Amino acid sequence: MRRKKVCFIGYGSTEYSRKSEASVLSYYAGAIRNALNQTGLKKKDIRGFAVTTQASPDYSPHVAEQLGLEVDWVLNGDYGGGGGVMSVRRAADAIECGHLDIAVLVGGNSFDKSMPNQRTLEYQRGNFVDVYGYGGPNTLMALIQRLHMEQYGTTLEQIGKIAMAQRENALNNPQALFREPMSLQDYLNSRMISDPIRLFDCVMPCSGAECIILASEERAKQITDKLVYLVTDAEISHYQVANMLPDKTTFGQKVVGERIFSEIKHEDIDLFEIYDDYPIAVMIQIEDLGYCKKGEGGKFVEAHDLTYKGNFPVNTGGGELSVGQAGLAGGYLHLVEALRQLRGEADGHQVKKAERALVTGIGWLNYGRNLGTTAALVMERRK
Amino acid sequence: MAEASAPKKSLPKINKIDAPYWQAAAAGKLVLQKCRACGKVQFFPRAVCVDCFSGDLDWIDAKGTGKIHSFSWVRVPRNPAFKEEAPICYINVILDEGVIMESRLVGDNKDKVKMGDRVKVVFQGTHNPEIKLPMFELAN
Repeated sequence: MRRKKVCFIGYGSTEYSRKSEASVLSYYAGAIRNALNQTGLKKKDIRGFAVTTQASPDYSPHVAEQLGLEVDWVLNGDYGGGGGVMSVRRAADAIECGHLDIAVLVGGNSFDKSMPNQRTLEYQRGNFVDVYGYGGPNTLMALIQRLHMEQYGTTLEQIGKIAMAQRENALNNPQALFREPMSLQDYLNSRMISDPIRLFDCVMPCSGAECIILASEERAKQITDKLVYLVTDAEISHYQVANMLPDKTTFGQKVVGERIFSEIKHEDIDLFEIYDDYPIAVMIQIEDLGYCKKGEGGKFVEAHDLTYKGNFPVNTGGGELSVGQAGLAGGYLHLVEALRQLRGEADGHQVKKAERALVTGIGWLNYGRNLGTTAALVMERRK
Repeated sequence: MAEASAPKKSLPKINKIDAPYWQAAAAGKLVLQKCRACGKVQFFPRAVCVDCFSGDLDWIDAKGTGKIHSFSWVRVPRNPAFKEEAPICYINVILDEGVIMESRLVGDNKDKVKMGDRVKVVFQGTHNPEIKLPMFELAN
């Protein structure tokens, strides 16, 4: 649906760390504090709170209690990598309905071993997948990548180009864990994890958090002159679930894309923050969103410059592949980077014309198919 | 603090819905759910039919044959207990009944696997004598 009056007014990030065992609560607090500082809001202004995480067994009301937040609206943004975009949609609904005027959404992760972390595998993954010694999401995405390569002739060079472009974007992003240049040979020679998925197809799990703040248009205008509007958004969960012979190389983003682009033109988007748990997932989403035909994603990335300087800027801060994946904060990283770009704050990797951004989230590799959750939104800077 | 015990290979936590499936597997049979109301065959086992939402589900014997839809050689299993078995050939099989099943390819000639290869089910024992896992071998 096309949105009229919901704005993004701020964001906050923490440092990313591969080793830190600081409590995940302190990461949430850090990201929220930075977002509040940016906007000049006080903790008591927060009337809505959403958290997306796998790192603690606590749900949003418990986290709100621990952070001392008295709120009118809470949400478990519990949709895997779709959690960022899908939490935005729910907060926007609540704001449009007048339930609240400011919502703080946070995603985070840490390796704090004092807490029982990582929720147990869901039933079908536990009983019908894990028992065979699979390699986690790496294996499930490998099955999809092999099919894409076999069916459409997609090459490792084409897939690797996505990882390389994102690394180039990360070189000047101080938040990124990986800031050394990556060559095609580096990509191709990286260690095989679950073939054809290599090490440089995979994200680095790390600790960290990301936060964004949404507000009603009225409040937004009181708080900031950098008005970034939520324009349109859509989602679908468990696309093809009742089809026992699904097309594994088409994600729910096909349906999401049809909904998004019934409201706005493809060519009106300036930059693309596409959920990148793997480069092949970026390529498939480019196809599903309608920027090229199914199976032509390889040729599309060959023909375009995907860096922040290029004609199809993708994951302009490096994405999860080069910044790191702080658990389910991965679904927020793309939102925060889009906001940095639209507000002109992406020092060292700023896209020249950054008025409209498409942000996607995908999550939960499901049984025998591909993604359990798929979502996207468009945000727009208005002067 | 006590040393963490060695990781164990993952086993299904059998429940009311999938118990008939695991009982059949232990007896060397592969079974699938079929909806009595609309005829839909589905996998994995569920409480209701994914098409018509009927709860009236039957179990049918599968032929135990199908073809490789995709595969991946797992070098790094999620559960470290499987490490000694790596590389593991993790597969998606399209069963002849028209459902995708996730499983593992075993057998001496598994290194020769290609997309589309015909496979047949075998049942592999686990460290729990009451549980066998349906896996697959190349048919030729």
